[in-house]
Amino acid sequence: MVTEDEMLALIGYRFPGGAYRIEHWESWLLNNCTGAEPRSDGLVHPIALFHVPILGSGITITKLFELGGATGAGSVGLESYDWEYFSPLREDVEYRIDGGITEVERRVADTGQVYDAVAFSIELFDGDALVARVTNRWRFRRTA
Amino acid sequence: MSEGASGAMNVQVGDEIPPWEMPFVDPARMRTMAAILRDPYPVHWDRTSNERLGMGGRVINQGPLNLSYLVNMLHAWAGPTCVRRLTVSFGRPVLDEDSVTARGRVLSVDEVDGERRATCELRLMRGDEVVVSGTAVVAVGVTSDVTID
Repeated sequence: MVTEDEMLALIGYRFPGGAYRIEHWESWLLNNCTGAEPRSDGLVHPIALFHVPILGSGITITKLFELGGATGAGSVGLESYDWEYFSPLREDVEYRIDGGITEVERRVADTGQVYDAVAFSIELFDGDALVARVTNRWRFRRTA
Repeated sequence: MSEGASGAMNVQVGDEIPPWEMPFVDPARMRTMAAILRDPYPVHWDRTSNERLGMGGRVINQGPLNLSYLVNMLHAWAGPTCVRRLTVSFGRPVLDEDSVTARGRVLSVDEVDGERRATCELRLMRGDEVVVSGTAVVAVGVTSDVTID
């Protein structure tokens, strides 16, 4: 099992940083997945704040799983999201994106299951203007 | 909630937001979503992998899709640019072929940065079971004391 010290060492880990542009086709498919009506006004569905910050900050879900020591199906779960929007997300805007791991805490669930709660925070900018900030907490469940 | 003559929303504490239903959580949409997210986690598209988890060979809806149903409810109520903040916790997994309903209620109304903002309790329900819960801050109009020269 990944040790608590190994996990705590992730606090302060910075993602490479980068940029992301949401194109219309991706926005359309994302909207369709939610069951919402198609849009033609250039607005992007707010749930893009899941994958756009991750991919745009130069990391991937696969890499986050590796960092957290995921061990297969059932070993990772969502705990919470805190997403702030300072302006709407739009298609064809190149967002500059930066972030990293901000918190790690080893916990024991009521069931006795040991898990690490890992929080990462990422910000999106349009030029110098802050557009959105996300803080996501994931659970990495441990087995002996 | 009612709408005034000017079209501005009249939102009151305790108002129930009109619910939004997803009557059939479609595994095809989960597969498309996995590709958009570049999400390699097989629980969203491989029924075999989920049999080991006691999920009866069903696949698990992505958390962002569960959240999207709550956002769709907010958009239908207050418009497509209304969301200012979403804070949610995930309780139980939502599975393919589930039927879920997004519900919400106004907890408070405040004036912030020239906007009227409603803080709303959110619940995604599968029958009587809450599967996602949290709060949203939603813009519901400009404040009456704001003037534009």
